Amino acid sequence: MKRWIGPLAALIVAGLAAHWATLTYAPGFIMDRALATLKDRGVALHAFTSPQRISPQTQAVVRSSPDLFYSLCRYDLSDPGPFLVIVMSQWSDYQSLSFFDSNTNNFATIRGSDAQELVMLVGPGEKHSGLVTTIESPTKRGVILIRRLAADEESFASAKQVALNDQCALGQDEPF
Amino acid sequence: MIARLARYSFALAIGAALGMASALYLAGLWPGMKPLDFGDVEVEGWRSDFAIGSDTADMYTRARVARHGLLALAKSEAVYFTRTTDGEGAPLREECTYRLTVGKMPAGWWSVTLYDDDSLLPMNEDEALSVNQEQETGGEGLVATIAAEKPEGGIWISSRNAGSFDLTLRLYMPDEALLADPEAILKPPVVERLSCAGDTP
Repeated sequence: MKRWIGPLAALIVAGLAAHWATLTYAPGFIMDRALATLKDRGVALHAFTSPQRISPQTQAVVRSSPDLFYSLCRYDLSDPGPFLVIVMSQWSDYQSLSFFDSNTNNFATIRGSDAQELVMLVGPGEKHSGLVTTIESPTKRGVILIRRLAADEESFASAKQVALNDQCALGQDEPF
Repeated sequence: MIARLARYSFALAIGAALGMASALYLAGLWPGMKPLDFGDVEVEGWRSDFAIGSDTADMYTRARVARHGLLALAKSEAVYFTRTTDGEGAPLREECTYRLTVGKMPAGWWSVTLYDDDSLLPMNEDEALSVNQEQETGGEGLVATIAAEKPEGGIWISSRNAGSFDLTLRLYMPDEALLADPEAILKPPVVERLSCAGDTP
């Protein structure tokens, strides 16, 4: 019996470690796959991409809403220095600009108002001037999402038109 | 020596497998589980994780939401309630017809959407995937039919090709009172089973 005490302790330690590791790394693993899927579906890096209206045939992410217009921008701020300039154009109905890091956390959300929104996104630990609304991403990679209420074909077409003025662009020298 | 090594290897392998399996189970990621059928808030059969989208969520919630609520918003912007059963507690399924009654919701905007067992919109071309606030009559809510075939009249949510399904209630710009005390404030949609294929008349 004594000879099993050591292995039993090893079993418990291995179990706890595997339990912790599975929970810790699952979100990052899932987001990594999601970002790869978005890339495969044509969602650009450092530019907003407006997919087709959500339908069973076009859905790329689980639990997408068919009543919303989505515009997505993948980002990668791995190199020190660059930042993203993000513009959410004016929309007459509900809209929001939300930021998700590579662990799936929604680390910032800006609800749309009657005016266009201008935001700067910097990488983790990056300095910024603070002259415009600046958000620091907890991780180097992630995705930015604009949601616009567009429950019918006509609203969706209007939202798509408005999205032409959205911006998600990589900058090197702070112009503000 | 070899027997000792074998015992430790066996223990490590079993321990790792149990640790991983228990994490997947408790996070609702185990195959076949309905991960959104639990959470930290329940109102008359509708469940929600108010920690969704936040880094304050515990490890289990974050793992579960990462898989089944990816890119969901934090509760200050939107809350999501899901139910997998009808008013009598039976699983929602394509073979049955249901009446959905939605009253006034404590939010700026709401919708109810049907998802299949894989958390996807069911593969059909009926263009009847959800109902929303804009379909209300007189701002007092609406009544819709959930069925695989289009009803004679009224608002329809198609369950064609959905198999076992769930309903997700989205509440955008939720009232602060709802976030503070959801059980007291939310009068959630009612799902009544009207009939099922194979029922004896």
